[in-house]
Amino acid sequence: MSNNNPLQPIPCEILNVKKESTHEWTFRVASDADVDHGQFMQLSIPKVGEVPISVSGQGDGWLDFTIRSVGKVTNVIFEKEAGDTLFLRGPYGHGWPVDEFKGKHLVVITGGTGLAPVRSMVNLCADNPKTVKDLTLISGFKNEDGIVFQNELDKWKEHDHFSTTYALDNDEKEGWSTGLVTTFVKDIPFDTFGDDYAVVVVGPPIMMKFTGLELLKNGVPEEKIWMSFERKMSCAIGKCGHCRIDETYVCLDGPVFPYTKARYLVD
Amino acid sequence: MNHDIDVKKMRINCFRQSKVPGEFMLQMRAPGGMVDAKYLSSIEHISKTWGDGNFHFGTRQTFDIPGIKYENIDAVNEYIENYITEVDEELCDVDMDKVAGEPQEWDVKSGYPTIGARNITACVGNYHCICGNMNTYELARKIEPIIFPSHYHIKINISGCPNDCNKAHMCDFGIIGTAKMEYHPERCIACGACVRNCEHGATRVLSLNEDTGRVEKDPCCCVGCGECVRACPAGAWTRSEKKLYKIIIGGRTGRQTPRAGKMFLNWASEDVVLNVLRNWQKFSAWVMDYKPEYLHGGHLIDRAGYKKFKEIILDGVELNPECLVAEDIFWHETEYRSNFNVKPLSMHHTAGPQGE
Amino acid sequence: MGYSLNPDQTAELLNRLAEDYRIYAPKRFPKQGRYSDTDIIRYDRIQTPDEIVWDQKSDYPAKEVISPIQQALFYFTEDEYRESKKAKKPVLLLARPCDITAQLVQEKIYAENGGFKDLYYDRVHNKVKFAVMDCGGGDDTCFCVSMGSNKPENYSLAFKFDENGLKAEVSDDCFADYFDGMPEDDFTPEFVEENELKVTIPDLSDRDVRLALKSHPMWKEFDKRCISCGSCTVACSTCTCFTTRDICYGDNPEVGERRRVTASCQVAGFDQMAGQREIRSTAGDRMRYKILHKFHDHKARFGDRHMCVGCGRCTHMCPEFISISATVNKMADAVDEIKASLADGGNHVE
Repeated sequence: MSNNNPLQPIPCEILNVKKESTHEWTFRVASDADVDHGQFMQLSIPKVGEVPISVSGQGDGWLDFTIRSVGKVTNVIFEKEAGDTLFLRGPYGHGWPVDEFKGKHLVVITGGTGLAPVRSMVNLCADNPKTVKDLTLISGFKNEDGIVFQNELDKWKEHDHFSTTYALDNDEKEGWSTGLVTTFVKDIPFDTFGDDYAVVVVGPPIMMKFTGLELLKNGVPEEKIWMSFERKMSCAIGKCGHCRIDETYVCLDGPVFPYTKARYLVD
Repeated sequence: MNHDIDVKKMRINCFRQSKVPGEFMLQMRAPGGMVDAKYLSSIEHISKTWGDGNFHFGTRQTFDIPGIKYENIDAVNEYIENYITEVDEELCDVDMDKVAGEPQEWDVKSGYPTIGARNITACVGNYHCICGNMNTYELARKIEPIIFPSHYHIKINISGCPNDCNKAHMCDFGIIGTAKMEYHPERCIACGACVRNCEHGATRVLSLNEDTGRVEKDPCCCVGCGECVRACPAGAWTRSEKKLYKIIIGGRTGRQTPRAGKMFLNWASEDVVLNVLRNWQKFSAWVMDYKPEYLHGGHLIDRAGYKKFKEIILDGVELNPECLVAEDIFWHETEYRSNFNVKPLSMHHTAGPQGE
Repeated sequence: MGYSLNPDQTAELLNRLAEDYRIYAPKRFPKQGRYSDTDIIRYDRIQTPDEIVWDQKSDYPAKEVISPIQQALFYFTEDEYRESKKAKKPVLLLARPCDITAQLVQEKIYAENGGFKDLYYDRVHNKVKFAVMDCGGGDDTCFCVSMGSNKPENYSLAFKFDENGLKAEVSDDCFADYFDGMPEDDFTPEFVEENELKVTIPDLSDRDVRLALKSHPMWKEFDKRCISCGSCTVACSTCTCFTTRDICYGDNPEVGERRRVTASCQVAGFDQMAGQREIRSTAGDRMRYKILHKFHDHKARFGDRHMCVGCGRCTHMCPEFISISATVNKMADAVDEIKASLADGGNHVE
């Protein structure tokens, strides 16, 4: 087996499986990979296939992957349990520029499972209160079934330097708001942040597009906004071409992009 | 006007009686419906000189020139000598001095000797068409010397592909060009274009096996049309080099029991097609007790019974290994009159030698 | 050093070369074309000179030898990954100038992009030596001169075939011995200096122009004309896209492969993620994506050249008669229109 094959995955043991919702489970996998917040890895099962999944959490000797069962590979991953093997390669791409966010007011706006790629960074801010000045989190979900990381959402709410808005698109839920995340953008106290803040947006393409426009409307300059893209990928190393948008390869140059670039990426 | 004309004799000479007394329409053979365009000026000349100036495309792809007066027929026959010798003798290698294989000298100035074997029609085939699997007129030209001249009737339609634009299903002996398709999995990009084309345009025999990444086929129901080949962006499907044919028999129109023909042979080689046709006259002669009359081939098969037809028509024919033969044929006629077929025994047609 | 070989000597040369090289060249596959009784010419291993089609452009490109339509990446036995084996013998690839130049594009992607070197490309590419074949000027779909791909830089041998045999130039000394005793002659390869077809790529350096071009109605024409079959990209000398596909063998589901299979941005589903809607859902969207990649995006990323060598195979293979050169011309017209409109200050695009 050659060492110079970037497509060669490594077998990793599943440590535990946590069901976030019916179709979204978090797999904790034994791995020593050095992952930046917001990077992704290629997960595979021999004879089934390979999928790019963002790292939703990391700790000493483990990585979390929050996976939605929507296709052939993810369906088979859902049949796996603690003790089984998943194959990993990566991490790939550029994650969140955490150093740039440090010491600032951080705004995180997520739609649905878009929370997964920012979860580890939010946890970093939660566990190390000095990382950012404060964190404004707006997390929207389609409905109650779509809620992921319920425990952490509850936990984050309690942090003094966190200000949280959780919302369902149409449904009512106690302690939660109702409406699309874009409707809560105007409530973010940007005027109190001065120049010292950054905004992170992750979610479905439509949600990101309109959230971006809403932020601009509220006077946020585009260079303060960051987004994470999700595109079809086969290789994650800039060869297969599936994730290319214009001269940009999402696997190499993303998945996290400054809005100055993301805004003009038209598939 | 007072005429004494043997119209039956005229018909054998390929001049058809007009509703205008004393006028006839010439029908000129064009095997496979393809001749050099130079003959169009001959057609024009005949029409303008002896006809009424008009021209009609015969339903069997003959050049039809109406309005020819009886007294001009000799002149017309003399004029078409060139056409008959060039098209039939030279292009198709027809022996004009035999009728149904029996020696009978042909007077070159006398026009067509028989009308029994009708013009072989064909779609344009792969000479032009993107769907065609075969060169239809070349096959027609190979068949022409087998069936013509003869007083025994046969209508042959050739279609270049199973789309059957030329209605092989509506004649005595229909020939449909097919190919066995070859799959080259190493060139397959698993795009599914062939699967979709087969589903939309053919018999839905292809499916993409997601586990193996390959296209699978139900060969039993494949009609051999080549839609998969046309759809493939990578050349993963190709036609077999060997041309194969479906033979559809017994189709007909008519006032009594029109019906679509049914498949007699599938995946027959060209040799098999030609050898089967070489037995057609023998079969017709046997059914009609060697007295030719104008009867559609389907009626002959009805009289003999399919199994007898099969016995005579396959006599001495060596089938290619792929060739499949209908064990039986289950016809489905349009019966214009209910129980048309149920009648006194004495009215039943006979088949085979009847003795004195 | 130049040589002039008669047919027997040409055969002898190939015999000598075949001892050390697997020789690939355009080869005729009779009656295997899309339409009945049409041939296909594609690259395959050859043994004798008469198998080489030198007077006609191949339908499929030379890239198939280096990055085949399908190849195994890994073999699986239960949970073990075993890397597919590489062929040991080097390859001598007889290709036209456009095909050889196309490898510069393929190298950018397979060997450089993102700093990752693709093992499967690299291990074959390293073993390939090129013999450039005189193309006699190509055909009316060729526009290599416009794309600057008419004079390849990297080749070991130059061949000019004709009815009388072969003229050859050896530019890589490691091939000198194979010509031992062959008649020497003055021969220097000549490359086409002008094509009948000339293509001018519009200047797309302005982002606003590009954004306006993306939403320009010109692409709608292809919603009706293009059938999204992907013939153009499979025939393309430079396209590299692939999909990874795991398969298991029908008779033993425990054993299988991870394969790389050519993919096409023109085929529906290219950008579709599981459980999500397709992003470029119309033929026009896909055509726009391809054309902009070929004539702007690739060069914008890698700097040196466009992702088109003007081989014309996409035009040649399109079952719907969509011409790449005509499409570029239409794009140039649209760009002129957009630039005029932007200069007027009107129609500014978000």
